[in-house]
Amino acid sequence: MYMTPLLEIQDLKVSIDGSQILNGVSLQFEAGKVYAVLGPNASGKSTLAKAIMGLPEFNITSGDILYNGESILDDNITERANMGIAYAFQIPPAIPGVRFDDFICRICPEYQCKEPEGHFMGKACSCRMELYDDFERLGISNLAYRDLNEGFSGGEQKRSELFQVLAMQPQIMFLDEPDSGLDYDSLKLVGRELKSIREKGTTTMVVISHHRYILEFLEVDVVYILQGGRLVYTGDMEDIPVLAEKGYERFLSEMKEAA
Amino acid sequence: MTSSERKEQAEAAKDRKATYGADIDLDEYQFGGNPQKMAADQISEDDKDLVEEVGFRTDQKGVSGSFAQFDNESILADVLMSQEGLEVMPISQALTKYDWLSDYLWNAVSVDTDKYTARSELESYDGYFIRALPGQKIRMPVQTCLVMKKKQFAQNVHNILIAEEGSELHIVTGCATPSTVEQSLHLGVSEFYVKKDARMTFTMVHKWNEAVDVRPRSAAIVQENGVFVSSYAILSPIKSIQTYPKVRLVGKNARAELYSVVYGTKDSVYDIGGSLMLEAEGSSGKVISRTIATENSEIIARGDLQGRVAGVKARLECNGLLLSKSAKIVAVPVLDASAEGVELSHEATVGKVGADQLNYLMSRGLTEDEATSLIVRGFIKLQAPDLPPALQRTIDEAVQLTLEQGL
Repeated sequence: MYMTPLLEIQDLKVSIDGSQILNGVSLQFEAGKVYAVLGPNASGKSTLAKAIMGLPEFNITSGDILYNGESILDDNITERANMGIAYAFQIPPAIPGVRFDDFICRICPEYQCKEPEGHFMGKACSCRMELYDDFERLGISNLAYRDLNEGFSGGEQKRSELFQVLAMQPQIMFLDEPDSGLDYDSLKLVGRELKSIREKGTTTMVVISHHRYILEFLEVDVVYILQGGRLVYTGDMEDIPVLAEKGYERFLSEMKEAA
Repeated sequence: MTSSERKEQAEAAKDRKATYGADIDLDEYQFGGNPQKMAADQISEDDKDLVEEVGFRTDQKGVSGSFAQFDNESILADVLMSQEGLEVMPISQALTKYDWLSDYLWNAVSVDTDKYTARSELESYDGYFIRALPGQKIRMPVQTCLVMKKKQFAQNVHNILIAEEGSELHIVTGCATPSTVEQSLHLGVSEFYVKKDARMTFTMVHKWNEAVDVRPRSAAIVQENGVFVSSYAILSPIKSIQTYPKVRLVGKNARAELYSVVYGTKDSVYDIGGSLMLEAEGSSGKVISRTIATENSEIIARGDLQGRVAGVKARLECNGLLLSKSAKIVAVPVLDASAEGVELSHEATVGKVGADQLNYLMSRGLTEDEATSLIVRGFIKLQAPDLPPALQRTIDEAVQLTLEQGL
């Protein structure tokens, strides 16, 4: 029996400023699974994720994106976010004057204070306390009172993005290099966090990465390799150490020969 | 300067056009009036609503003193019974009470600056005198409010504020006019004196209407280790406002910070500036403006830092956000150093809401309007580190209220 995949990309062609980046990509993401989208630099990995999120500079020239079987090409970013699609930015823009903790409470219903204003007589709402505990778990307590993304270090950006995307409880999340710029300790923190999401099995995870550590730790189900804006290989976990050893060029040419 | 010398100088300058701002024909307005004293419980219900919109508490809760003036007709001046070391009274009364006060009159602001200062001197005026006595730390703010209700009328006030040596004084002031007033003019001269080791903060919220022209003339003199912080928000439409407060830092390590927030609407013209003259060793300061132009409004944000001795340090920021195709923002930063080792810097930006910011916030589930409003709110948030939290809230609340109506 054919199950409708959560997200299906059909022959997608995407251009930015008139130059074509994706040249007809078709692939699927099924509910609850973990995917790695890999490929050499400039192969179109981030473009794929951003086009799915609906960022307007990514112009879809042909093909379709189906979410639960229905095209979402006419839905804007907000609508896609509310459907359950989330994207963790590689380099999120600074929003001056908007405090990080206030922003999280704004976008995540579960952290919103349910008590009327002035009820606490100077004490913080329990949702806020929970939020601060969760910040601590990801090691970002120091960001709470800072302006969103303003002067965040590379590692802080990654953890803040991950925090936001997780807190939105999406159906499918695209994590654009969640592990770049992280030191070993942060890498472990992020890995553990992602692992616990995987174990819950309620969210499809798509990880764009160059590093094997996170992917192996997460035990990805499916590996997609993009090259030159096309899907050139579909495999699984076992390909990752081979890839790491041989590099894309050799790996892909050997696969071609074998086929 | 004697009274007759002052009048002479004013007479000579009475046709002198101001450097900036549209010229106003002062003969179109009626001056004069002889304000009578009133008590807080004599304020009418309508007036109460009006003054409360700019943060004036008619119940006088949480304030150390109050001053309100309606046109040039009635004046309320009150100091909390338990508050020691604070004086709040009409300037007319203060000038009679203290001979020495005439030395402060037209000292920070020159009487012959332009036709507005000249006319202000030549016509009868009132206004407020607020003083913290030496060493008195007055933590609760003094509130003042100037209300203009009469048509074809010029409200002419002259204020003098003094923080004596080692004192602390916070003033929160609102100016307001009902939306029905047609063609009026507000001339406000304010002179601030911050003595050695004293601190003064001045927080002002303006709420005028499209038929009102406003020409404040303000200046401050700050002495050794003194701190002067001015925060100004104008959030309503207006016909035109032109203001360019000047601060002279004359004592060692004196410091001043001028913040302004302008939310431009309708066809209003706002010419807002701030100037710091760093004349003494170790003096420092900031001039920061955040402007938002919507509809057909036009905003000119000026800033001027003048470093006169070695080692002084100041920063100028003019940041503007354009939310309409027919609005206009001009940022005019000026840095002028005439000594070695002066450290002056500026940042001026004018732009629209960034697409990358919008897309980012929308990807977190906010609609385009919600995202724009969040960016604008963040942009306009004034963070004056020296402002007491209660006054910071006054400004924040006024800004939020305006944005809710405007966006």
